[in-house]
Amino acid sequence: MADAAIGTRAVPAEPTAWSRLKTNRHWLGAWFMMPAAAFLILFLAYPLGLGIWLSMTDARIGRDGIFVGLENFIWLADDPIFWLSVFNTLLYTGVASVFKFAIGLYLALLLNHHLPFKAFLRAMVLLPFIVPTVLSAIAFWWMYDPQFSIISWSLKELGWIDTNINFLGDPWNARWSVIFANIWRGVPFVAITLLAGLQTVPPSLYEAATIDGASRWQMFRYITYPMLTPIIAVVMTFSVLFTFTDFQLIWAITRGGPVNATHLMATLSYQRAILGGYLGEGAAISTAMIPFLLAAIMFSWFGLQRRKWQQGEADD
Amino acid sequence: MSIAEKTKAMRSGVAIAGLLVAVSIAGGGVTTAAQAACDLQFKPEEGAELTMLRWKRFIQSEEDAFMKIVENFKNDCGVTINVQNESLDDVQPKASVAANVDQGPDMVWGLYSLPHLFPNKLVDVTDVADLLAEKYGPWVPSAVKYGKKAGTDEWIDIPIAYNGNYINYRKSALEKAGVDKVPATTDEFLEAARKMKEAGMPVGMALGHATGDGNAWVHWALWAHGGSLVDENDQVIINSPETKQAVEYVKELYGYMAPGVAAWNDSNNNKAFMSGEVGMTNNGASIYPAAKKDSPEIAEDMDHAAWPIGPVGKPTEFHIAYPMMIFTYSKYPNAAKGFIEYLFQPEQYDMWLQAAVAYLTPPLEKYESNSVFTDDPKLSVFADAARNTLTAGYEGSVGEKAASALAEFIVLDMFANAATGNMSVDDAIAQAERQAKRVYR
Amino acid sequence: MTETAVSKPAAPEDPGAYGRWRERRRVRKAEERSQSGMDYLMSTPRRVITVYIPLAIIVFVLLFPFYWMFITSIKPNEQLVDLDTVNPYWVVAPTLEHIFKLLFETPYLHWMWNTMMIALVATFLSIVASVLAAYAIVRLRYRGAQWIGGAIFLAYLVPPSILFIPLSLIVVKYGLWDTPWALILTYPTILIPFSTWLLMGYFKSIPFELEECALIDGASRWQILTKIVLPLAVPGLISAGIFAFTLCWNEFIYALTFVSSPEKKTVPVAIISEFVDGDIYRWGSLMAGALLGSVPVAIVYMFFVNYYVSAMTGAVKE
Repeated sequence: MADAAIGTRAVPAEPTAWSRLKTNRHWLGAWFMMPAAAFLILFLAYPLGLGIWLSMTDARIGRDGIFVGLENFIWLADDPIFWLSVFNTLLYTGVASVFKFAIGLYLALLLNHHLPFKAFLRAMVLLPFIVPTVLSAIAFWWMYDPQFSIISWSLKELGWIDTNINFLGDPWNARWSVIFANIWRGVPFVAITLLAGLQTVPPSLYEAATIDGASRWQMFRYITYPMLTPIIAVVMTFSVLFTFTDFQLIWAITRGGPVNATHLMATLSYQRAILGGYLGEGAAISTAMIPFLLAAIMFSWFGLQRRKWQQGEADD
Repeated sequence: MSIAEKTKAMRSGVAIAGLLVAVSIAGGGVTTAAQAACDLQFKPEEGAELTMLRWKRFIQSEEDAFMKIVENFKNDCGVTINVQNESLDDVQPKASVAANVDQGPDMVWGLYSLPHLFPNKLVDVTDVADLLAEKYGPWVPSAVKYGKKAGTDEWIDIPIAYNGNYINYRKSALEKAGVDKVPATTDEFLEAARKMKEAGMPVGMALGHATGDGNAWVHWALWAHGGSLVDENDQVIINSPETKQAVEYVKELYGYMAPGVAAWNDSNNNKAFMSGEVGMTNNGASIYPAAKKDSPEIAEDMDHAAWPIGPVGKPTEFHIAYPMMIFTYSKYPNAAKGFIEYLFQPEQYDMWLQAAVAYLTPPLEKYESNSVFTDDPKLSVFADAARNTLTAGYEGSVGEKAASALAEFIVLDMFANAATGNMSVDDAIAQAERQAKRVYR
Repeated sequence: MTETAVSKPAAPEDPGAYGRWRERRRVRKAEERSQSGMDYLMSTPRRVITVYIPLAIIVFVLLFPFYWMFITSIKPNEQLVDLDTVNPYWVVAPTLEHIFKLLFETPYLHWMWNTMMIALVATFLSIVASVLAAYAIVRLRYRGAQWIGGAIFLAYLVPPSILFIPLSLIVVKYGLWDTPWALILTYPTILIPFSTWLLMGYFKSIPFELEECALIDGASRWQILTKIVLPLAVPGLISAGIFAFTLCWNEFIYALTFVSSPEKKTVPVAIISEFVDGDIYRWGSLMAGALLGSVPVAIVYMFFVNYYVSAMTGAVKE
């Protein structure tokens, strides 16, 4: 940590180097930061830099690339499949996040009622979040099977449809199907976290509001929602980031098909880099995700509410 | 000679006396008792041990036989091969990453033109290819093309087998649809598909990213109409009237297919065929043995047929080649070469072909007469797969570029885009052309 | 101030089991109070319509795939692709064949062990690093702390799907390729940002005065951290721990890319490669593996879900 200032602060009389190390908080801070910094620099910052460099080369698998400047990006700018993947990613993230938020909040409000077996219910609700994504994705793939889908079968038995639903064979059906699977997986995290937030709302506020004759909607709008805003900002930031960079769900269910209709930027990057062998181009697609992620972060950071915890500033 | 090898030699029943002699002269580097059975041109290195990555079995008995060969190789030549399995779709990324980081399995048994994605990382196996051709050859034409690095005479892989991919159909389904003979031309095929749809036993062929089945049939359709991704000089010629004809043909065919084929991968058609949801599909010889085992009535009812002939008037088949490659980072390239040589010894290779029940087709002339293709007439169509198959890239070179084009599913996506109505025929072709030009620049 | 005590750590002078028990009791009381604040005007029929029915529907949708996985894992193969003879929601002549195959004919238990070890070690390393980092950022407030805090938060910008290509080169360069260490050392990059952030929130809820007293008494920072702060932060550590553990258990791309020997694989990767035979998916064993693979995490959550909830609360509350 380069910014760990040495001896810029008045030190009590004649400290030895060691005692200064033990007490100077800048030094201590540097020492305490060391393990986390080591991990993040060696395995995150360095590969990130390497990835960005790769995106400006024509590296192929098994062969080092030479610097080609922005050639990869220029090619991508003119590539309809890339733009399709951008569209898919935005759609996937946008729709899934909105639904995850709405259903998650609703579920949290429901779970906040006095219910029998509450702890058990809470644990049940968390289950989709616990099962490894790939494995639940395979379960969904099986449920979306063109011929043996239990969903199609049930609807046919009910007489609502005549033929099997073509879940993954039609571009739009496939998009909605994977979005549904993502919502299914994401709702528990949002719900349980918001539930945690709900429990911090002082009950006295509701009591006061009830005495004043507030309606339930008013209580939600003027007490619950404002009190929840910080946790909403946090949980939605995570949710958007996880969704935007999702890979495994799509890869296990559709591999980007049919006809690229469900390719996200992450899967397209894998497809181009590892399957197609164009490391440079794959890295360029990954790099192209960064501005979108920055925008999402900035939105949550500045837009929703500027919270001090985000910077680790003193606030107590 | 290591202790382990000595123990092995003992276990394999070599006489004690012989062992003593072998041990006493082992220091001199003379052939030992254990290696006496190891009659190979390519002598494995001392203490060699190999890791091999192969595609996950389609047929249990094939894998069992392959593992038996590995076991025999260990007993005869003292080389242990640790075989790892990955699903067909994952072999390529694994091999690519291994090539990229110079670490991983010594040998990879992959498919199609995979070796040509990283030709510089592979051991030159020209000597093995020449030896095998001399003993059991000649090679079928496509094997030569798949084996040699583009534009050179250097072999970078040995296509050790092919997987014939042909029409699988239910006789009862054709009857029900009133189709009296197996379609022999593309027009008859279309007509049959229409009738089968009406009869409720439609055709179903994968249009998702199905490496084996999907590629096989879309390339057939493209080539049958005279279209091609590139010409013999690797110039992109996909945007042609012939291609358009092919795309329109597939578009019409798609209308008669079972719903959901655009999402099918290599496994869906097996399931659908076995359950009677579709009456005709394209597949390797893996449905048939599975049916024989689990549901004999389906095995009885089904048969295989060659691909219909298109307007070009000659067969245009595209089967999977299974090339074996050795990475340059391997510490024991000779042991790896030795294994390939060993595999092709008649007592191993014939046994293997038998066990694979026509799922595998040999690339060398000597083995084409294996009885597995004649014992059961329903399997005879698979005998010529290796000889008849065209190569990835058709008339163009089999190289890095063809491998990339295949890996990116350019042709498959072109058909899928147009067939599903996702794009107009012209747009789909234009997009394929654009992608192909990038690959072939 | 009972209402703000919801997630306050136990009273400092009594951080033992009794204190924690009292804390939990207080949390429960506070919850009940808050519920009565919302609920007491509601009649039973109205509760059924506005609470129980929607809740039942959502829970049904969330849990149905598990039922389907379960029923698939005990169905004989022929019933899997025959929806007409037997009602697919039920199973006739259930079989343990798939589960048996999973447990005894594949190294499934070995993969579980791998996954468990990798997840535990990676979680432990991450929590240690996160505790130190969070404490330094929140309490030491060294120069630049706020920027470092922001930078750690921004580390979330960088998803595995961006990193895994260059990282595979780096893993090889460090000599970690195809070893459990490749995963143990890369997972913390996913875990540390979240854990640090969560613990930062938690540490802030610990009264500063406690530390000041200890400092005046001559305690070193290390002693303060281990003797005062950490015992108070146990719920936060637990919830950061289970969150990290879940993420490890879940991880796919790195595990798929950096480890290639079958005996070193983790559960999610191994199941897929083991039960997808060429063009046949062994649905029964796949589903059994998916269900069993979730059991360890499910158990952890059953016990600690309350800690998780309270730590999330603490983290966002300030």
